[in-house]
Amino acid sequence: MNFFKKNIALDDLAKEFCNYESWFFLAKFDLKLKYRRAFLGPWWVVIGMGLSAGILCLLWSTIFNLNWREYLTYLFSGFIIWMYISAAVTEAPGIFPTNKHLITSTNATPIFYALRKCTLNLLLFLHHIPLILIVIFFVNPDIEIRTLITFPIGLLLVFINVVLFTISLGLLGSRYRDIEPTVQSLMAPMFLLTPVLWKPEMLGENMTYIYMNPFTYFVGILRNDITGIEFDIYMWVGAFTITLINIIVFILLYSSKKNKLIFWL
Amino acid sequence: MKSFIKLENVNVDFPIYDDNNRSFRNSFVQTSKELRFATTNKDSKGRRVVCGLKNINLDIGFGDRVALLGPNGAGKSTLLKLIAGIYHTDSGTTSINGSVTSMLDMGFGFEEDATGYENIIIMNSVMGNPPKVAEEKMQNILDFSELGEFIHMPLRTYSSGMRARLAFSTAVETSPDILLIDEFLGTGDRSFMVKSKARILETMRKASILLFASHAIQVVEGLCNKGIFMQNGEIIFYGSYEDAYRIYEEDIHEDKRK
Repeated sequence: MNFFKKNIALDDLAKEFCNYESWFFLAKFDLKLKYRRAFLGPWWVVIGMGLSAGILCLLWSTIFNLNWREYLTYLFSGFIIWMYISAAVTEAPGIFPTNKHLITSTNATPIFYALRKCTLNLLLFLHHIPLILIVIFFVNPDIEIRTLITFPIGLLLVFINVVLFTISLGLLGSRYRDIEPTVQSLMAPMFLLTPVLWKPEMLGENMTYIYMNPFTYFVGILRNDITGIEFDIYMWVGAFTITLINIIVFILLYSSKKNKLIFWL
Repeated sequence: MKSFIKLENVNVDFPIYDDNNRSFRNSFVQTSKELRFATTNKDSKGRRVVCGLKNINLDIGFGDRVALLGPNGAGKSTLLKLIAGIYHTDSGTTSINGSVTSMLDMGFGFEEDATGYENIIIMNSVMGNPPKVAEEKMQNILDFSELGEFIHMPLRTYSSGMRARLAFSTAVETSPDILLIDEFLGTGDRSFMVKSKARILETMRKASILLFASHAIQVVEGLCNKGIFMQNGEIIFYGSYEDAYRIYEEDIHEDKRK
């Protein structure tokens, strides 16, 4: 028990958790500001996303010679989930340098800034969900009841991972400034390597390789149930394992580097 | 328990990361080289550091209003940030008792596209006060800032003086045990300056400890009963305000003679 009381990572996490009103307000406000001077506001993002996913669907269902109705839900949900996860990863290394001014003048913990950013990304993702729902009900409205339970759990699991990863990578990215461009350039090939555009079974006997890609699990747990793909326990086991690793890395890194962060900015 | 600040043998060093040191690839190359040859001297790896605070011993008790005096780069702001919990030390012990409010940097976290009203809530959230608390304080803040209709205009339409009014009014609307101020009264027009000084005095009466770093001597004089004279990251003198000020003056004259 002593470890839990003394560990600064868990201590700060608990502190910011109790302070949820502040960062949640700021995240909501960031979203509001984003649309303040736009005429169509949030609709632009939804239209933009719908347009690119629609074009991709048309293009790839022709190239792969697939049934476009089935492929439409697969691609729409996969693409929107991917955009959420990849935005979080790409922004992670720069999270603390961009908040330098606040970090050097207030005593909010670094976790506060990660939570603010990740909540904003989550809210952005959530307002794409109607788009997925429309497509699902238009194309194949027979999704299973268990989705109502698995989807929120998946969403929570992804959010926890995104927050912890943002903090860990944010700390490293503040110290080593070339992590940011490295991550940015890695995310493009990762998009192609993750089953977003294509289906795992298209790989044939090479299919097992997708399990080496951590993104597969998170895209999988969110997408599979809403697109009527069979329940895959490996996806969940993988996602929980990665979460565990993420928690350990976060605790070790944060406890030892938190106090040094200010000198790296 | 009465509030206090106790620092013992505290040092703050700023490590310097130059471009070579700052790349992940380089630090990898460096360690792999060391592993292979094992000849690299430890000293060559030792980072360059800039000394921020050197061997600080300080004991500030209930009712002390301390002026921080000293030339630029003496470590005044660093000391305030240490007490505010922004910097952390590697060596020495820091014990602080009481709630701390710091006014170190004006207008941090302001959003240009948000209105003054919204910015008050934003600033409060950043300082850890949820929107509910901010709303409670709102009327006092609005009255004190005297921004009138402008409070509902976006911040980008504000002059720098108006920004200062907004930032000050928001920050001063707290009742901390320990109040830290770093050059806060420089902006705003004359009538606002007079008002701010009166307000600080009032907040001070409620707060039990004040630490105030400023070059505006006439403002400091009426507020403080103790003084610290700092130079090159060290505390040269800590005692009554008059003595600290005298030593500070002597130092300035000495510099002139050189």
